[in-house]
Amino acid sequence: MDAVRFVRVAVILPLVLITGCAATGAMLSVPGQGGIPTRVDLEQTPFYPQVEYQCGPAALATALGASGLPVVPADLVPEVYLPGRQGSLQPELLASARRRDRLPYVLPPTSDSIISQLAAGVPVLVMQKLGAGPWPGWHYAVVVGYDVESQVFLLRSGTERRQEMPAARFLATWDRADRWAIVVLRPGQMPGDPDANRYVEAAAALETVGRIDAATVAYQAAATQWPRDSLPRLALGNTALIRGDLAAAESDYRQAIELDRGNVAAHNNLAEVLLRRGCVSAARSETEIATGLARTGPLAAAVADTAARVAAAGNSDEQGCPAP
Amino acid sequence: MFKRLTVLVTCIAVLNLGSPLVTQAAVIGTLQATAQNGRVADLSTISAALARSEVREQMVALGVEPAQVERRIAALTDAELRTLAGQMADMPAGGDALAIIGIVFLVLLILEAVGVIDIFKKFP
Repeated sequence: MDAVRFVRVAVILPLVLITGCAATGAMLSVPGQGGIPTRVDLEQTPFYPQVEYQCGPAALATALGASGLPVVPADLVPEVYLPGRQGSLQPELLASARRRDRLPYVLPPTSDSIISQLAAGVPVLVMQKLGAGPWPGWHYAVVVGYDVESQVFLLRSGTERRQEMPAARFLATWDRADRWAIVVLRPGQMPGDPDANRYVEAAAALETVGRIDAATVAYQAAATQWPRDSLPRLALGNTALIRGDLAAAESDYRQAIELDRGNVAAHNNLAEVLLRRGCVSAARSETEIATGLARTGPLAAAVADTAARVAAAGNSDEQGCPAP
Repeated sequence: MFKRLTVLVTCIAVLNLGSPLVTQAAVIGTLQATAQNGRVADLSTISAALARSEVREQMVALGVEPAQVERRIAALTDAELRTLAGQMADMPAGGDALAIIGIVFLVLLILEAVGVIDIFKKFP
């Protein structure tokens, strides 16, 4: 009798763990302030049922579709699917969204941040760990809603168009995947409860992979959203410089400095623009300020580099240069 | 002696000639400027170029069409390339949820048939 009971426990317990039924007891609640509804269902979100191991392409297609870009998962397979892993890796999902001029924004690892997105009408692409041990069951799904009263999250997942997952179970599976969650935004569109640094960093990633126009639109939105933050202005100056528009770049850098006199990068980059204009004296005074601000910080080497270039440029100023 | 001096002088001249070209990009990029807000640059991390070639090799090894590899790499940031380098075989790869559910169901079914568990008998 005891032996039978032991076998049952020995067999069922691991199975319960594998299927992720071991709930942590986490509750779904909405932040008190900000008028967040207690129930959201983004019914309009498209659905692409998963084929074989390809939940990555399916979930990404769902998120892209919700951002106004209809794509079928089959088109995404060559970009994000890794045959040797029978799955997709997180950075490649971000990269694939960028290739289509979409801004992937990684959320802070809190359930509140998922709720904020849904309340703002933006579905959330999440990673879940549905298994354990030798079968981790890494899975991508798209959260399209929640209901505080019945304690469920609504997902587009696998082959289910509308999966109602108990909140405690969803939060546990998400927690075991290190709470990875992203939203896929149109350039210029803001996530729910946006964070300036996170947003500008996401836009800067677009810029570094050559999607300059999309990045510029995002920086403009950031400059409007956070008018007193110098970072979006610096970013706009950098994209102006990439386009070769020295006058616009100079104006943006000056605005960034006006917002934050301690912005090392803005002083440094302004010096670079002035140098290209042939205004060596004005450039020198900017590098002097930047050098004093950078001290031995992470940007010190870049500033020293600019200072050396200014020093090598001699002393002649072109006509029409600003006073140093 | 004179020959060696000439060679030395020429070398220095050539090096100096090269340096302005190398340091052409004196602009501090936005990503670089945002990075200094949070974390300090980790000197132990490998260079972006090395990370790139490592990711390229691993993608091919993991079955990506060689024609697609460059396209996929082009849309990744340096930080993401560093994350991927050396880890592509171990990082979580979302995809096999259906397989998991299938395996669990199959095991339950077998155990049910053998008589170790009786969860399905509760339902008519």
